[in-house]
Amino acid sequence: MLSMQNEFIVNIADEMQKKADELGAELIIVDAERSPLKQIEQVESFIAQKVDVIIMNPIEFEASSPAVTKALAAKIPIINVNSATSATPTAFVGSNDVESARIAMKYIAEKLGGKGNMVMIHGLMGQAAQLQREEGAKEVLKQFPDIKLLAQQTGEWDRAKSMDLMQNWIQSYGDKINAVFAHNDEMGLGAVKALQAVGLKDKVLVISVDAIKDALASVQKGELNATVFQNANQQGAGAIETAVKIAKKQPFEKEVLIPFELVTRENVGKYLK
Amino acid sequence: MQFINTIRQYGIFLAFLIICGFLSYASSQFLTISNWTIIITQVSINALLAFGVTFVIITGGIDLSVGSIVAVAGVVAALLASQPDLPLIVPILGGLLAGLAFGLLNGFIVTKSKIAPFIVTLGIMTIGRGLALILSKGRPISNLSDAFNFIGGGDVFGIPFPIIVLFIVFIISYLLLKNTVFGRYVYAIGGNEQAAWASGINVNKIKMAVYALCGTLAGLAGILLTSRITTGQPNAGAGFELDAIAAAIIGGTSTSGGTGTIAGTLIGALLIGVINNGLDLLNVSSYYQQVIMGAIIIGAVLLDSWNQKKMAS
Repeated sequence: MLSMQNEFIVNIADEMQKKADELGAELIIVDAERSPLKQIEQVESFIAQKVDVIIMNPIEFEASSPAVTKALAAKIPIINVNSATSATPTAFVGSNDVESARIAMKYIAEKLGGKGNMVMIHGLMGQAAQLQREEGAKEVLKQFPDIKLLAQQTGEWDRAKSMDLMQNWIQSYGDKINAVFAHNDEMGLGAVKALQAVGLKDKVLVISVDAIKDALASVQKGELNATVFQNANQQGAGAIETAVKIAKKQPFEKEVLIPFELVTRENVGKYLK
Repeated sequence: MQFINTIRQYGIFLAFLIICGFLSYASSQFLTISNWTIIITQVSINALLAFGVTFVIITGGIDLSVGSIVAVAGVVAALLASQPDLPLIVPILGGLLAGLAFGLLNGFIVTKSKIAPFIVTLGIMTIGRGLALILSKGRPISNLSDAFNFIGGGDVFGIPFPIIVLFIVFIISYLLLKNTVFGRYVYAIGGNEQAAWASGINVNKIKMAVYALCGTLAGLAGILLTSRITTGQPNAGAGFELDAIAAAIIGGTSTSGGTGTIAGTLIGALLIGVINNGLDLLNVSSYYQQVIMGAIIIGAVLLDSWNQKKMAS
């Protein structure tokens, strides 16, 4: 796994364990602690142990790629879950991050009536999720030339950093900002806090991605306007199902795409468990 | 000694004024009361850590564990603050005690073993991060009490509470280092540990106290951070130790020990905060921000050392 310090990744891992228990498969989970090198070493040790199937949650598009190549060279099937690598694995289970930004940005465009000023808080620059969410956002911006991107900056996936950033933007743009798109919920919640502190939240839309528990609670309270649900449960379960099929030499799909869903105040009840 | 310290601060203060001057020229929003309120609030957490680290560095040590202590103390405080029937003092004490415990552990290992502080606090940094994850089960802890959230988010007569905390801690640390016997011993140990020991100073006891102080301040910073973002985050504070050390060094604390002041460290922390804020106001791209930040840090210290040489000759 990419990192067991990240709530979303922990959810995927939990769901994998549950599904593995249900199907009677033995699952070993290791944490690569955001180090691609460590991830490759872990895959190498799985190859040495001659496991039936490897499921990898890649840390980085290029840097984690050698792990895929090595597993395939050792004739051990490898499945990428949640994010992709440049080398093609035996199968991929996850969602297309470009789509999550498209959904969020279309919601902003619709709410603003296709006209207004917005800011974007990026994830850690250069990570696949940041690059793809930026790509999706820019795509939608092109369709709505009257929506102006006033400023964009990284919040490093972090709530406190994004709160600082949003405060600084409020200083420079004041009430000119109509909407905020944050690449993840932590950062979206940081922006919400900054806006609330100066009483601007009611005037500014904030949309982010992931649908973590805090974000859902915030959407329910009407603070965060919307989040995009990435289905960790289906990704985790899907990866194990595919792995078991491969191990039993049954036919399997090479690409299992789990769709994103827009969560607003109207449908948030469905996601709050 | 006093004179040289004043000059050291003066150099960095000059750099600070030049950067502020440039930013107020470049952005009309920079020199406003509301913007400075924000800058000082944003700086408060790093400044608290930097004050503690300043004490440690003056004794010739280093503390790399403060970022992790922020996370542990934050998680402990959040766990307690999410229990609705506990009074506010419980999470605050919990966070401070967690910080103190880690500080004492650092001090204990540093003084009882001959292991370098760099290694000891590096180990404690990893242990702290792990504990924060264990305690929180890897997930953020939310639904904290309103009273607790006031610490980082509330204000008194329009002054954000973190600024008040920063002010009080600044005064105490400043007096403690400058006007007490303890402060003189801290400088003495950093200047020449053997000589300090020979003159009858209980070196180990002072060192223990310094690490304990640093840990407790990190605990306080953890409480502020948790309250500010209204969640206990196990991965909060990663990299904070470097910002704190940077603030102390920019402010004129020498890594070889023996010199440094709390006022200088405050200027160092403010300088970092001002640069962050100014580059956001000017909407400088994230990539360039990092390059500029590094260049300004080196530039500020260069200006400082150039100033000292000029004064010496």
